[in-house]
Amino acid sequence: MILLPLNIITTTLIGASLAGVACSLIGVFVVRMKLSSLGFCMSHAAFAGAALGLALSFNPLVMAMIFSLTSAFLLGPVAEKAKLHPDVILGVMFSLMLALGLIFLSLTPGTAMSSSAMGILWGSVLGISKTELIQLGGLTGIVVGLIVLFSKEFQAIMFSRKLAEASGINTKPFFYIILFLTGITIALTLKLIGGLLIFALVVNPASTVYQFFYDIKKIILISPLVGVGYCMVGILVSLLFDFPVGSSIAIVSSICFGISVVFSPKRKRG
Amino acid sequence: MNFSSTQPIKLKNVSTIYEGEKIPAIKDVNLIISRGEMVTIIGPNGAGKTTLLETINGLLPHTAGKVEVLGKDIKKYGSYIRRRTGYVPQEITFAEATPFLVEDVILMGRFGKIGLFKSPTRSDYEKVREVMRLIGIQDLAKKPIGKLSGGQVQKVMIARALAKEPELLLLDEPFSNLDLNALSDISRKISYLHTIFNLTTLMVIHNVASIPPSCNRAILINQGRIVEDNLSGKRLNFSHLKMLYRVNL
Repeated sequence: MILLPLNIITTTLIGASLAGVACSLIGVFVVRMKLSSLGFCMSHAAFAGAALGLALSFNPLVMAMIFSLTSAFLLGPVAEKAKLHPDVILGVMFSLMLALGLIFLSLTPGTAMSSSAMGILWGSVLGISKTELIQLGGLTGIVVGLIVLFSKEFQAIMFSRKLAEASGINTKPFFYIILFLTGITIALTLKLIGGLLIFALVVNPASTVYQFFYDIKKIILISPLVGVGYCMVGILVSLLFDFPVGSSIAIVSSICFGISVVFSPKRKRG
Repeated sequence: MNFSSTQPIKLKNVSTIYEGEKIPAIKDVNLIISRGEMVTIIGPNGAGKTTLLETINGLLPHTAGKVEVLGKDIKKYGSYIRRRTGYVPQEITFAEATPFLVEDVILMGRFGKIGLFKSPTRSDYEKVREVMRLIGIQDLAKKPIGKLSGGQVQKVMIARALAKEPELLLLDEPFSNLDLNALSDISRKISYLHTIFNLTTLMVIHNVASIPPSCNRAILINQGRIVEDNLSGKRLNFSHLKMLYRVNL
């Protein structure tokens, strides 16, 4: 077991909680609106951007954000206009972004698999700085604020975009807000869980909660709590067994999701 | 064509082409519906009935001509018009695990009307309860939408359309999933709303036997064109049906 100073543990737990809230709230939309393929591509675009940042000795976070948001705003309209099947987007963009990320990492000065590069791949929540904590706090505030402010519109779009449009809601700006929030959340939480695994924290908590409730309002309220729980248990497992944090969170959340599927009342008869 | 504000629906030489298609789904349609009219659109599969309805509420952008609804151009005021128009889509289905309760689905019909940055008030919830009572689905309020039968979903969609207190009601095959009892019940309720509130109603119907009693005008549509207008339900005869459906009766 790894023993860490209290201030690092405190920063780590706060960072993980904020990331858990932001990612799992976004996950409610991603899962319900079947945006997983778009989100998956965004997370790998963020990874490629951060890798390019390292290669150019430029702020990896800024580059991750640029790549992630650019992919969001390219993929959203392209997927809508071209009516591409999500599998096609996933197949093309996922491999492209991963390939770019690995090429950029190989161009990184010094050893390609330096600790920074490994941090982008697998996450390093223990090294989270105060500035990053403030950024995460701001992001979580923005995500929560926008969801509260436009809860009616988001709920209507999640139910059916066509019916929301038919009831007089201009759905396009809200759809883009969801894409924007997904992109920025993925980029800002990249350091916590890593570019290859960040989507586990987006999809798994919401998917778990979806197994138990038919009321979307409850799902929106409970998913962040489950997300925080997964992060805490994941960090504990990471410290106990000296595993990478990102991998631990991904494994814990995947196991819990599997258990939730088995015990889901939605699959029981009578 | 003389446009006036007492005519909630006015279409002038309207054509709509789907993306990637060359042949219009509706072509050169001219149609005026006056306030308080109840009109049914009848035609075979693929005749353009749903396209016509979705062109009127702007969900499908028309490619030629002019569409005015509730006195406004649908291209410029689409959301404004849809906030005042009740719409029941054709045979909508939901996965069993869909995480929305019936009362929330109906309340969502009012969201456009409530407007941005505002939360539903007590009167919004009261309106939802009122339409549920009217349609007879108050016992379904807390049920997940994915657990309902096709006919129950159809009633929920009608309640959702009515919850916004529309000035215009567009119904796309509202009786498609209903058994005979439910069909006559809903048909009577639509007629009641039309009569009491003078609600302009346009509905697509597949089965001519289900035309509501208060319907005073039927339009026959085939291959994207209006082939007969201003027929009363009683004046519909075998020759019309033979022409539309190409069957010997």
